[in-house]
Amino acid sequence: MSAAITTENIGKRYRLGGLRPEHMSLRETLGDLLMTPFKKIKSGSQQQTLWALRDVNLEIQQGELIGIIGHNGAGKSTLLKILSRVVKPTTGRARIVGRVGSLLEVGTGFHPDLTGRENVYLSGAILGMHRAEIERKFDEIVEFAETAEFLETPLKWYSSGMWVRLAFSVAAHLEPEIMMMDEVLAVGDAAFQQKCLDKMSEIRRQGRTILFVSHDMSAVTRLCRRVVLLQSGRVVSDGDPAQIVNQYLSSSLNTSPSLAQKTEEN
Amino acid sequence: MNEAVPAGPEFLIESEQTGVLLNLGELWRFRELLYFLTLRDIKVRYKQTLLGIAWVLIQPFLTMLIFSLVFSRFVKVNTGTMPYPLFALSGLMLWLFFANAVTNSTASLVLNAQLITKVYFPRMFIPAATVGTGLVDSGISLLLLIAVAIYYGTAWTLSALLLPLFILLMALFALGVGLIFASLTVKYRDLRHALPFLIQLWMFASPVVYPASVVPAKWHWLLVINPIAAILEGFRAALTGAAIDWQNTLIAFAIILFVLIVSLYIFRRAEDGFVDVI
Repeated sequence: MSAAITTENIGKRYRLGGLRPEHMSLRETLGDLLMTPFKKIKSGSQQQTLWALRDVNLEIQQGELIGIIGHNGAGKSTLLKILSRVVKPTTGRARIVGRVGSLLEVGTGFHPDLTGRENVYLSGAILGMHRAEIERKFDEIVEFAETAEFLETPLKWYSSGMWVRLAFSVAAHLEPEIMMMDEVLAVGDAAFQQKCLDKMSEIRRQGRTILFVSHDMSAVTRLCRRVVLLQSGRVVSDGDPAQIVNQYLSSSLNTSPSLAQKTEEN
Repeated sequence: MNEAVPAGPEFLIESEQTGVLLNLGELWRFRELLYFLTLRDIKVRYKQTLLGIAWVLIQPFLTMLIFSLVFSRFVKVNTGTMPYPLFALSGLMLWLFFANAVTNSTASLVLNAQLITKVYFPRMFIPAATVGTGLVDSGISLLLLIAVAIYYGTAWTLSALLLPLFILLMALFALGVGLIFASLTVKYRDLRHALPFLIQLWMFASPVVYPASVVPAKWHWLLVINPIAAILEGFRAALTGAAIDWQNTLIAFAIILFVLIVSLYIFRRAEDGFVDVI
């Protein structure tokens, strides 16, 4: 087996306190130009920064289904965004071998005014599928989503459950070598969630790599053979799921009980 | 247990600026997305409208009527052998293409923030798709123009075959200007408010509804540095079979090429940072 993802000292720094000093409106830029001679006094205090991720070193083998857990703001989503090329890291580098399909939200690229059919094509294309590929899998996607009778209906008239099922279905048929999913299973009813989990197991059996961010600890323990725990942007544990999930849950209880709930946003 | 999964393309994610060169291979790999984004913009625009795609024709046609009323009834403008309505429509058709494409590309990145923060693809395709949409519109309004030209009994010559060439030049220029404004707007939302004035100013500085011949000689340099002027003049010459001023067209082409290169550079420089600011 070879590594699908290797990261070296990946870090991401965000500026706090509005968009100063780099990203301000034109008026402020102009105003600041005029004020430059008088500015010396207040500079310095504006450079507050936050490391959303710090020194992340991971090696993920091809075919691994790896769970990423941690509290809100631990850096889980940022990590997925960096690995799926949405966000550029501030430090470090990563090597990715294989086509990446990322599902950072449900229904990426869906447009409410377009019909179900149109959205399958649009979303598929945005997630990186070719038209021929979408055409080939179209029936399968629709069947999996159980929305066949609403294909010509604008998406805005879908129930949220139908919307979600169609979205997951498009993404599940992506067939990238590496798949990244962020808390996608928190939606849909129990039956559909089970269907999603089965689909993920199937994807893993095909030898594909899956990175799976979730707050659903039972799903994480059932699906993954390796779990990475992030805390304040750093990897604090990496290994056996049961053990690390326990560590995470007990740390949640110690710090703030409410954080252990799986409904939290990350 | 593992079925053979082919080892896919290898990719490096680096913290440093990886250079501003265009990744043509990647643009090519995602080419179908440009098609789908353009299709989306076309479809979405006229959803839940009664007249649908007919709006593409109604807009330039009504604008033509208004300007014809003003500039050939109230104020007499000499457009030579070309009847004023045909003159105005040929100008407005291309101008509206440019103005709409630039306006829409400027807003496009911010409007698609949801996509930009959730999935990777060459961001350039978002503003490019709005130009693509305009190009489709132009194809349709070209038919209207031909109909109006036939109505006025225009004598067709072979140079009418050059009409698409000038539309294409306009598309390239719109893409360049649009990319610059789009990348600046991500940071400076001010541009969205300033743009309507700029566009209006630009329209009256270009021979859209008046002929270049009424511009005083000391202002002629303005027409030379404004590629829109040469495109409009060339487009009209191609329509009526008059001699096309190739020198001006070449100068315009050179300026457009320069703007396009600058815009790609600006866009590539800003692209990686969009997600952090948008």
